[in-house]
Amino acid sequence: MSLQFWKTRNQHGRRETPGSLATEEQLIESAQEGSVAAFSKLVEMYQERLLRFLLVRCRSRADAEDAIQDTFINAYRYIRSYNPRWRFSTWLFRIALRNAAKISQLDERAEGLTPDKSSDPLEECIVASERENLWLTARQSLSADAYSAMWLRYVEDMSVKDVARALEKPVSWTKVTLMRSRRRLGSEMTGGNEATANGEAYG
Amino acid sequence: MVKLMDNLEKRLKNDASLIKAEVSAEMQERIRASLQSTQPVSPDPKKPESRGMSLWLTSSLTGLAAAALIIVLVNWNTSIETNGETDSMPSVPSLSEQIPFPLSAETVEWTAPLEEELRNLQSDLEKARENVERDLRESF
Repeated sequence: MSLQFWKTRNQHGRRETPGSLATEEQLIESAQEGSVAAFSKLVEMYQERLLRFLLVRCRSRADAEDAIQDTFINAYRYIRSYNPRWRFSTWLFRIALRNAAKISQLDERAEGLTPDKSSDPLEECIVASERENLWLTARQSLSADAYSAMWLRYVEDMSVKDVARALEKPVSWTKVTLMRSRRRLGSEMTGGNEATANGEAYG
Repeated sequence: MVKLMDNLEKRLKNDASLIKAEVSAEMQERIRASLQSTQPVSPDPKKPESRGMSLWLTSSLTGLAAAALIIVLVNWNTSIETNGETDSMPSVPSLSEQIPFPLSAETVEWTAPLEEELRNLQSDLEKARENVERDLRESF
């Protein structure tokens, strides 16, 4: 992205250079004042993390890209409603989850189909490895919410409370889901079928 | 078990890093164009406050109405009970309620000498009348 793009004026007509805005908090404050450039910097910080996460929630890469675009548009539109008590990433992932769910519902209504495993966007993005990627296993054995909880907890390093907020679930549900998902994946990792013998995935 | 879970966490992180999700330049341009045509919406600060205020007012009024209703009901019931008590309650307690021993037995013990005394008095009176009549006959 060119430097010219960053040198824009905000709604108050103030010329700004986001390169000087060091912290996330400062970027958020500038975005709340109407700076597209500051928000674009936030987009740059989060776009890959969000896309990786959305690839597992959406049926195709195109859906994931639509979801990420909607997420950033909604986030910018409602940036003034953002409460700094929350982590910005929690707020952003929450919006992303809502958009992913909305797009999935629209797809299911339009086509009445289940996700096509042959064109799994996650599989396409995984670097070839000697062993199967654990997230592919997780996707097969966990529910969508349980998968998201695991991702947010162990990849995004969110606290249990933040995971619960992002998923809009109770903290107790999140704790139990994380515990059962870990147990299940641990069993899968060691090649046992202890967890699968206990029934369906929780969540 | 703890070691297994630690390995699991490490592997989850490592495997997540193997998922390559690069945002294309085209995608970035789409996002940028969308943001340029979007304006942040100002949250209406009055709306939540007025909602909170109205909620507070509603709950307060409901509480006050309930309290007033309870006070009226309690006082109403009390006045009915008081009126009922004044109508039915005797002004002076009966003697039998105050005397701790059976009154009928004592009555028998107390009245026998009095009746005997009355009979003695009547016999004395009869003797006196006979004496008076005899004295009158002898005198006249």
